[in-house]
Amino acid sequence: MTNAESVPELGWTNVDPEMSARPQQFYPMMRDMGVVEAEEMMLITRHEDVVWALRHPDLFSSGSDAIDIGNIRPLIPLQIDPPDHVKFRRLLDPLFAPREMEKLEADVRALVVELIDEFAEAGECEFNGAVAIPLPCTVFLRLLGLPLADLDLFLRFKDEIIRPVAATPAEGRAMARKTGAEIYAYFETVIAERRRKPQDDMLSGFLSAEIDGEVLTTEDIMDIAYLFLLAGLDTVTASLGCAVAYLAAHPERQQALRDEPSLIPAAIEELLRWETPVPGVVRVATQDVEVAGSMIPAGATVTCLLASANTDGAEFADPESVDFARAANRHLAFGAGVHRCLGSHLARLEMRVALEELHARVPQYEVEAGKTPIYTMGIRGVEYLPLVWSVS
Amino acid sequence: MRVSVDAALCTGHGRCYALAPQLFAPDDFGHCALVVGDGVVPNGLEEQARVGRDNCPEHAITISD
Repeated sequence: MTNAESVPELGWTNVDPEMSARPQQFYPMMRDMGVVEAEEMMLITRHEDVVWALRHPDLFSSGSDAIDIGNIRPLIPLQIDPPDHVKFRRLLDPLFAPREMEKLEADVRALVVELIDEFAEAGECEFNGAVAIPLPCTVFLRLLGLPLADLDLFLRFKDEIIRPVAATPAEGRAMARKTGAEIYAYFETVIAERRRKPQDDMLSGFLSAEIDGEVLTTEDIMDIAYLFLLAGLDTVTASLGCAVAYLAAHPERQQALRDEPSLIPAAIEELLRWETPVPGVVRVATQDVEVAGSMIPAGATVTCLLASANTDGAEFADPESVDFARAANRHLAFGAGVHRCLGSHLARLEMRVALEELHARVPQYEVEAGKTPIYTMGIRGVEYLPLVWSVS
Repeated sequence: MRVSVDAALCTGHGRCYALAPQLFAPDDFGHCALVVGDGVVPNGLEEQARVGRDNCPEHAITISD
């Protein structure tokens, strides 16, 4: 099996900065090939094929062989295949449904305002550190009922796993396993505390949650919380960074949002399509299967390249044009099929409120002269985004 | 015009009810529920039906007539 290599090979080291800044330019060539064989992994690149693959979990398993992010048991619900998968989603989907997320809006807005007011009068900020990192992490800690003092600990947890500073993939995996053990230990301790003294938070709610008449075990809850931490922080940070970096480089688009904030939800969907901060999701073929004329052998690690699907001219009119008024936008930034991103409505809420308040509070901003934003590979974030604007 | 949602295909992206809330609404799971239970699109909401269909990543929404 080659799947253990999959996360490092999504790659964040030794990458051409031009490729990480503008990956969109490489996708037409890849879509022409249909299925691309690259570094012990096969990439499905066309919109139609990606949707088809993600709709066939019987052929493309999302089980624990697909990705290794330091966990020792399958992550719930990502690494659970049907039929058990739906039981967990029936439990979790209501917690992240739009109606529940609406209840968070006032708190999220207050937090965003607090973060932006820190730098609005200064005329400059490094957006990633000032907003994109602390916002989703703080929201996550509040949602789970964890102390805000643990923010730096959580940032270290996710960074050491998603972007290990390692010389080799094997070393990276070893580091991830070590950090993973810390994450399990952290949540085991917290869950024990909540059993003794429940609070009004999501972790406490899990203590009495049932599936098929049986309450969740401590391990179940740890496997859910572990995934939330790895899936819910970096992705929103990346999405915010990509959106604001685009707007900084396109002043007329930025002004349009400032003039007409009701455009923001559509702009977010279009920027998610164009930037696709989570460029791909990984599966393992359960049997030999033909896609776009290529044979994918049983056991092959397969990346469904959401980013490439999202600029496929067979699906999107004028796909290279970023159009906030796009009439038909079946983008796959949150995936497709049964594993559609559980936190998508929370991500949208955080992005919408952040863009609304940023453009209400900060005048026309741009990237600081002489500086260049730095994009990351793997999860497509903007780890360095220095912005400047005029202050009166 | 009639609109229907295939519950077996809907996974709760929520694009339909965000863009066309007069015709589509979220259920408790964030999946799509038709505001008009019988699927007959009220006069004047035909565009909402098309917008919902054209933005569903799962192709779960179909229009007939």
